[in-house]
Amino acid sequence: MTWLLPCSPWLVWIIPSLASLFVPLAAKINGKIRDYFVISASLLTVVFAVSMVPDVYFGTTQIVTDVTVPWVPVPGGQAGVLVDPLSTLFANLIAFLGFIVLVYSLGYMAHKEGLTRYYFLMLLFIGAMIGLVMADNFLLMFVFWEVVGLCSYALVSFWYKRPEACNAGIKVFLMTRVGDICLLAAIIILYVNLHTFSFRTIINLVQEGKVALPILSLASFLTLIGAIAKSAQLPLHTWLYGAMEAPTSVSCLLHGATMVKGGVYLIARTLIIFYTVPMWLTTVAWIGVITAVIGATLALETPDIKGVPAYSTISQIGFMFAALGASSSPQSPGWFASLFHLLSHACFQGLGFLAIGSIVHQLGTRDMRKMGGLRRSMPITFALCLVVILARSGIPPFCGFFSKGLIASTIWSTGDCVLVFLIYAAAALTFAYSLRFLVITFAGEESDYVRKVHVHEAPALMIASSSVLAVLCVILGFFEPFLIRFMHVPLEFNMGSFMSLESLMFLVVLFIGGFPIYLVYIRKSLSADKLRKGILSPIGKVLENGYYFDFVYDSFLVTSVIKPSRGLHQYVEVAGLERLPYLIAGGAMHLAQGVYNYVDGFLDRMCYLVADHTMIVAKGTHKHLETFLDELCYIFAGKAMFHGSRIKKMHTGALPHFVVAAVLGFFILCILLLLTMSW
Amino acid sequence: MALLLTLLLPSVSVPIIYMLGKKSDKIAALAVALVSIADLSLLLTTVSTVLTYGKHVESYYWIPMLGSEFTLFVDGVSLSMAIVTLILIVAAAIYSINYMEEKTALSGYYALLSLLTIGLVGVFITSNLLVFYFCWELMLVPTYFIIGGWGYKEPYRAAFKFFIFTHAGAVFVLLSIGAVYMLTGNLDMFQAQTLLMTASPDVVKWVLASFTLGFAVKMAIVPVHMWLPDAHSEAPAPMSALLSGVIIEAGAYAIFRVSLSTVFPSIAASAFATQFLHVLMVFGVLSAFYGAFTSLVENDIKRIVAYSSISHMGYVLFGLSLFPFSVNGVAYGSVEGVVGTVLHLVNHAVSKGLLFLVAGSIMRQTGVRDIRKMGGLAGKMPLTTISSALAVFSIAGVPPLACFISEFLIFVGGVQASGSDSFYFWSTFLMLVATVFSLAYVLRFFLKVFLQSLKIKEVKEASVFMTIAMIALAVLVLILGVWPRFFMDLINSVSFG
Repeated sequence: MTWLLPCSPWLVWIIPSLASLFVPLAAKINGKIRDYFVISASLLTVVFAVSMVPDVYFGTTQIVTDVTVPWVPVPGGQAGVLVDPLSTLFANLIAFLGFIVLVYSLGYMAHKEGLTRYYFLMLLFIGAMIGLVMADNFLLMFVFWEVVGLCSYALVSFWYKRPEACNAGIKVFLMTRVGDICLLAAIIILYVNLHTFSFRTIINLVQEGKVALPILSLASFLTLIGAIAKSAQLPLHTWLYGAMEAPTSVSCLLHGATMVKGGVYLIARTLIIFYTVPMWLTTVAWIGVITAVIGATLALETPDIKGVPAYSTISQIGFMFAALGASSSPQSPGWFASLFHLLSHACFQGLGFLAIGSIVHQLGTRDMRKMGGLRRSMPITFALCLVVILARSGIPPFCGFFSKGLIASTIWSTGDCVLVFLIYAAAALTFAYSLRFLVITFAGEESDYVRKVHVHEAPALMIASSSVLAVLCVILGFFEPFLIRFMHVPLEFNMGSFMSLESLMFLVVLFIGGFPIYLVYIRKSLSADKLRKGILSPIGKVLENGYYFDFVYDSFLVTSVIKPSRGLHQYVEVAGLERLPYLIAGGAMHLAQGVYNYVDGFLDRMCYLVADHTMIVAKGTHKHLETFLDELCYIFAGKAMFHGSRIKKMHTGALPHFVVAAVLGFFILCILLLLTMSW
Repeated sequence: MALLLTLLLPSVSVPIIYMLGKKSDKIAALAVALVSIADLSLLLTTVSTVLTYGKHVESYYWIPMLGSEFTLFVDGVSLSMAIVTLILIVAAAIYSINYMEEKTALSGYYALLSLLTIGLVGVFITSNLLVFYFCWELMLVPTYFIIGGWGYKEPYRAAFKFFIFTHAGAVFVLLSIGAVYMLTGNLDMFQAQTLLMTASPDVVKWVLASFTLGFAVKMAIVPVHMWLPDAHSEAPAPMSALLSGVIIEAGAYAIFRVSLSTVFPSIAASAFATQFLHVLMVFGVLSAFYGAFTSLVENDIKRIVAYSSISHMGYVLFGLSLFPFSVNGVAYGSVEGVVGTVLHLVNHAVSKGLLFLVAGSIMRQTGVRDIRKMGGLAGKMPLTTISSALAVFSIAGVPPLACFISEFLIFVGGVQASGSDSFYFWSTFLMLVATVFSLAYVLRFFLKVFLQSLKIKEVKEASVFMTIAMIALAVLVLILGVWPRFFMDLINSVSFG
C-alpha cells in the first residue's frame, strides 16, 4: 500500500512554481482572489509534501520514482526526482514554513506596494527550493539552486526604491554566485569524468571505487565552496546581514527553509559521495565551528534587531556544518544531528523573525538602542521571543536542547578538544546574545521612542501563524524518536542520554555565557558603553566592522575589478581602441590629402609645365625658325632671282650656246654610260 | 524548392514593400513580418528532413565557367541559425511599427529590411562559397544604409566605420575564397573540404588564418571589435537587435562552417591545428573579459549591451576553439562544447536581441541614454522591466533562462577538452569566473535603469507593438531555457569534426 499521492514528488514543486506564473493573472481579478489563490496553492503543496511522509517512514531508506523526463539532450540529461528521507524532510519543512510565512504575510504585507510581485516571487522561491531538494541529479538541482538565488535577489531588493535594499540584493546574488560557479565546476568535473549527473549513479560509481581520488577531491572542495556561499559560512557570510533589507517575512523564509539551508542540504546530500575524501569532513567541521563562534560574537555586538537573528543564523548553521563535519559516515548520528538542528532552527529562527517582524512593523525602526520595555505593550510577542531564545540557546525542554545536545555529543565523539571547546563557546555565546536581545528590547522601562509611537500587539493573523511555530519549538524535541525512525538512522534514542554529564556541562556553559549579560544588562553593575569604550574597545572595533570581511572584499573589488575596468574602459577602449580606427582613418585621409596636394599637384603642374615649355619652345621655334626659314626663303629667292637673271642671260637664243650645251650634255651622258657599263 | 523560395520571397517582396510603404508604414512593417513568417514556415518544412537525414540540399545550374552550382543547403546548425534570424526579423519589424513612428521615409527602411533578410538568411543556407560571399556582402549594404539613414547622433560616421571594418574583413574572406578555388577548382564547401585534404598544409594554413581573420572582424573579437560599440549603439534599436543577434553571429557561424568545418580538417594533423585553436581560445577569453569589464563601467545604455555582445562572442569563440578533431587516435576538443557553442549563438541571439529592443524602448520613452540619469523605471514600465529581467539574467547565464544551458555545455566541453589538452582546464576556469562579471554588469545595468528612485517623472510604458515584440521574445527566452530540446536536437543531428 502506498500513501503517495500520484506524482506527488513532481507536483510538490511544480504546483508552487507554476502557480507563481498565475499570480499576476489572479491579481488582475482582484487582490483578495490573488491572496486566496496563493494560500491555496501553498496549502496544496503542503498536502503533497505530507503525502510523501508515510512512505518514507514505513519504507526502506530510499524510494525512487523511476519516472524520468527527457530534458537536455545530452547523455544523462534527464530530469528526475528522488524521494528519500532527506528530500522528504526538506520538502515538508519548506512547504510547511512557506505556508506559515504566506499566511503571516497576509497580515504583515497588507496594503504594501507590489504585492503581486511579492507573492509571485514567494511562490517561486518555495517551488524552486522544493525542486532543489527533490531533484535526483546535479544539473536539475543546480538549476533550482540558481533560481533560488535569483528569487532571493529579487526578494531582498523587494523595496527596490531603497538604495540599501538594491545594493543588498546585488551583494546576495554576486557573493552566492562565487559559490555557484564553484559548484558548477564541481558538477562539470564529475559529469565529464562519470558521464552522469544522477546522484545515485555517482554514489554507486564512487562506492565501486571507479572515481579517481584527485577528481573526487577537487569536486568535493568545489562543492563545499558552493555550500559555504549559499549557507553564509565563513568567509562568504557577509551577504546574509545585508539580506536583512528584505521584508521580514522573506527573511523568515530565507533563513528558516530556503536559500541558506541549501548549503546544508548540499553537504548532507553529497556527504555519501565525498566523505572518503581526506580532510574534507574535517574542513567542513572547522568551517562550521569557526563560523558558529564568529557569528555568535557578531550577534552579541549588533545594535540592529534584525541583525541578531541574521548573525544567529550564520552561527547556528555553523553548528549544523560542524555536526556534518563530525560525522564519520553518511546516515551517522552527526548527519542526523545536523538535520535535526536544521529543523529546530527553522522553528525557532522562523518564529524569531516573525516576532521581530511584528516589532519592526509596530515601531518602524530596527535600532535596538531605541527600544526597551516592550513587554508591557506587546506581551504575546514577548512570550514568543522568550520561546525563541529558550529554544535557540538550548534550554530544556525546548527543541534546541535536543538538537544541540546531539551536536555536542557528536563533536565529543571526534575527540578533538579544540573543536569541543569552540562549540561550547559558541553555545555559551548563543545564550549570551539571545539574553541580551531579550533584555534590551523587552525589559526595563519603556524608552522614549517606544512611548512616542503607539505600540500595539500585532494583528491576530500574524500572532496565530507564529504561534504554530512556537508550539513546534516546544514539542519538536520530543519527536526525536519519530525523526530517527523517519531518517532511517541507526541511532538509539533514550531520554537518559540527555541526563548525562555532557548535558550538565552544556547547561553550565550556558550559565557562564549568560552571566556577563546578566551583570551588564540586568544588574547593570558594568556599563556596556564603558566596556565598549574601555577594556573591550579593540574587540568592539573588530566586531563593529564584522571582522573586516566586508572591508577586505570591498577594497579587493575596488582595486582589482572596478579600477582596472575603469582604466580599461577609459584608456584602452575609449581613448585607445575606439579612436584607433579614426586615427588610422585620419592618417589615411592625411596621406590622401598629401598625395592630392603634392603628388597630384606636382603631376598637374608638370603637365602645365611641360605644356608651357612646349609652348615656349614652340613659340621660340616658331619665331626664330620662321624668320630663319623666311630669311632662307628670301635668300633662296634672292639667289634664285640672281641666278635666274644669270640663267636668263644664258637663254640668249644664241645657237652656239645650245650646241655647246648639247655636246656637253652628250659627253656627260657618254661618260656616265662609259662609267656604268661593265667592261 | 523550399530554400530557393526562402530567398526568392523576400527578393520579390522588396519593391512591393517599398510601394506599400508609400501608402502606410504600418502595412509595410506587417508585410516584412509576414514575409519573414512565410519564410520561417518554408524553412520549418525542412526540419523533418534535416532531423532524419542530417541535411537538406538543393542545387541549381549556375555560372558554369566557375564550375559553380547555386547550392542551397541546410543542416541542423544552419537551420537553427536561419530560424532564429527570421524570428528576430519578425520581432524587429513589429517593434519598428511604433519605434520608428516619428521617422520619415520609412518605405525605404522596410524595403531595406526585406533586402537584408535575403543576406541574413542566405549566409546560413548555402554551401557555395560564392553565394555565401554574395550574401555576406548583401548583409553589409542594407545595414549601412539603415544605420546611416535612421540612426542616432552621427549615424553615417558609425555606419561608415562599420562598413569599412567589415568590408576590410570581407577582403580577406574574398582572398581566401579565391585561394580555395585556386587550390581545389571548386567552390562548394563540402567538395572543397575533401579536395583540400590533398593540398599542401603550408598553403592551407594561410587560407585558414585569412578566413578566420575576416570572420573575426565581423564577429567583433577584441582587438578588431572597434566598429561594434559605435554601430550597435547608433543604429536604430531593431537594427541593433539584428546586428547583435544575427550579423556578428554570422561571423561566428562562418568560422564554424568555413574555417573549421571546411578548411581546418585538412591541417588537423599538423602542429598548426592546436596552435590555431589556442589562438582562438586566447582571444575568446580575452574578449569575454574585455567585454565584461568595459560593460561594467560604461554608462551609455546601448553601449553596455554592445560590450556585453563582445563578451559573449568571446564565449562563442572559446567554444569554437573546442572544435573536435582527432590525430593518431587521440581525440581533441569536445562535441558537447561545439553543440553548446552553436546553441549559445541561438540563445544569445534571442536574449541580446530582446535586450536591445528593451534598451531601445527605454531610450525612446525616456529620451535619455545615460543610465546615471535613469532609475526607478520598474514602477513606470512594468512590462519592459519584466522583459529586461528575463533578458539580462539570461545574458548572465542564470537558469532556467536561455543562455544558461548553452554556457553550461561550453564549460562541459572545456573540461572535456582539458582531458587531452590541459591548457583548456584553466581557460575554462577563467570563463567560469567571467560569468561572475557578467552577472555583475547586468545587475548594475538593472539597478541603474529600473531600480531605486525614479529620476524621470514623465515616463510611459512602451507602445503596444514594441511591447508585443519584447514580450514575445521574453517568453521565447524562458522557453528556450526550460525546454532546450528543439534547437539541441537540430544541432545534435549534425556530426562535428
